[in-house]
Amino acid sequence: MKIFYNKIGFFTLLFREIHRFSRVSIQTILAPLISNILYLGIFSGILSTRSIAFEGFNYLQFLVPGLATMGTIFAAFQNPSFSLISQKYMNTIQDLNSYPISDLEKTTAFILGGTVRGTLIGMLTYIATLPFVKSGIYSPAFFFLSLMLTAFVFSSIGFISGLALDGFEKMNFVLSIVITPLSYLGGVFFEVSKLSGILSAMRFVNPIYPLVNLTRYAYLGVYEDNIYVHGAMAAVFIIAGFATSLIVFKRGTGIKIL
Amino acid sequence: MMLKIEGLNKIYKKDGKVALKDVDMNIKKGEFAALLGQNGAGKTTLINILSGNVKKTSGKVFIGGFDIDKNELETKRILGVVPQESGFDNFFSVEEVLKKQSGYFGIKNNKEYIYHLLNQLNLYEKKNNFIRELSGGMKRRFQIAKALVHKPEIFILDEPTAGVDIEMRHNMYDFLLELHKSGLTMILTTHYIEEAERLCDRIMVINSGEIVADEPKEILMDKFGREVRVSICFENPVDMRQWDLPTEFNGENAHNNQIDFKVDKAKLPSLLNAIASKRSDFVDISIEREKLEDVYLQLIKRRDS
Ligand SMILES: Nc1ncnc2c1ncn2[C@@H]1O[C@H](COP(=O)(O)OP(=O)(O)OP(=O)(O)O)[C@@H](O)[C@H]1O
Ligand SMILES: [Mg+2]
Repeated sequence: MKIFYNKIGFFTLLFREIHRFSRVSIQTILAPLISNILYLGIFSGILSTRSIAFEGFNYLQFLVPGLATMGTIFAAFQNPSFSLISQKYMNTIQDLNSYPISDLEKTTAFILGGTVRGTLIGMLTYIATLPFVKSGIYSPAFFFLSLMLTAFVFSSIGFISGLALDGFEKMNFVLSIVITPLSYLGGVFFEVSKLSGILSAMRFVNPIYPLVNLTRYAYLGVYEDNIYVHGAMAAVFIIAGFATSLIVFKRGTGIKIL
Repeated sequence: MMLKIEGLNKIYKKDGKVALKDVDMNIKKGEFAALLGQNGAGKTTLINILSGNVKKTSGKVFIGGFDIDKNELETKRILGVVPQESGFDNFFSVEEVLKKQSGYFGIKNNKEYIYHLLNQLNLYEKKNNFIRELSGGMKRRFQIAKALVHKPEIFILDEPTAGVDIEMRHNMYDFLLELHKSGLTMILTTHYIEEAERLCDRIMVINSGEIVADEPKEILMDKFGREVRVSICFENPVDMRQWDLPTEFNGENAHNNQIDFKVDKAKLPSLLNAIASKRSDFVDISIEREKLEDVYLQLIKRRDS
């Protein structure tokens, strides 16, 4: 079987997704960076007087990979969901049905578009923290890869949301009621394994938890819980996210009239 | 056969509305067909099924010989549709959208053809503008360009001239006729019947989801357009009441010195004879065939009763 049905079409669609967010880079790139820097500034102010340590690192070092992951997650989620919902508002969404591009290619193009933006924001967040937190990355390649996988998972979730939801309010609802709490409980700001009871147990169904830990491992070289479990969990979320995306798209949710 | 539809049915899931009932259609390569019908007749539904926006309930559709159920992507390569209602990508300029559109169809470096289309549609000066900066009629023409960048083999226009000014509409007619001359198969829906009469060589009429007529234009007009309209002007005023014409000729005075008749074509000689025997001061006489519009109204009325 051919991998591509329409290679040029696929890349055009992928490029459109990247072109669109770079057109509005102040909102899509600068804004999340500033907000992440603010987080870092606030925490470094608060914490300069106390010493909260994690496996021999200070709290800001613990925080950097968390913020990078969170930046990645939000940007990756927003790219396909915003793109699809704005196409619904512009009434151009049905154009997607007219292209001779396979469902697999269309799904992949949207998800990769979000993956690019998510990874970019994650890396830029890291770079922006350099003046505050001077420490090298334990494994830069793995750090990059981990952000990319994170972006892929949340871009899939954003893609599904963009298909299923018909308004920006609903998308923001998902962001603030689902994604934000999940990132707090996934270990962006603190070690979730130190929590007790249900809040702690919930980490095993939270896609953010293994991804944050993989990124933190790549950054610091140490980890919480078991890195192999995290790896396996991440793999499951990646496969499930992509498969669900493809199924939802093939069903025509949000783009075809039954 | 460029387009073949067999037993196509559509019932909208949302409200159970039956939008298409057992529609059959065969469009040959190079034909220019009109699809006429009242608001809500099912024209857009039919087109949306072809373009994949609406899922059909049952039936078969072949575009360029490809089954839309089995070779959907192949059918998309050869189909170009100007939708009735469609929005605009506000993130990009006219040229950017058309470049991307070419890309989606697997075409790189299509600049020359894009410029050609923009020139033909009087949009070249607007190539760097965002779509939202175009006027309503320009947007309509932009849609036509967008549906043509991949050089489709079958081109479907859903009310392309709605909201387009008279001069532009005539430019558009010329453009469409030229496309047709170049061998493109075309289907047009419109509420301007004279548009269909002027452009198309085949007329299909759909009413409440059913095809009620599908014939070459001439045959359809012959079949239904059996009557002619005769107007006769006289030098001096005429009073109908003073004449005792056979009752089958039901004339009416339009002005003091003009009478209009509507008669079967076959009765035309006996009408003229009858009048000539009464008066000889003809100044002017005009015999007009029925327009497609009259035929169309008859068709729709027959169904309603
Ligand atoms: N998404 C939908 N859900 C339910 N019913 C629909 C939907 N779209 C159209 N219909 C119904 O199907 C019927 C046919 O509509 P359609 O749009 O095909 O008509 P049309 O011939 O294109 O009319 P017009 O000349 O006004 O454009 C109408 O009764 C319409 O209300
Ligand atoms: Mg319509």
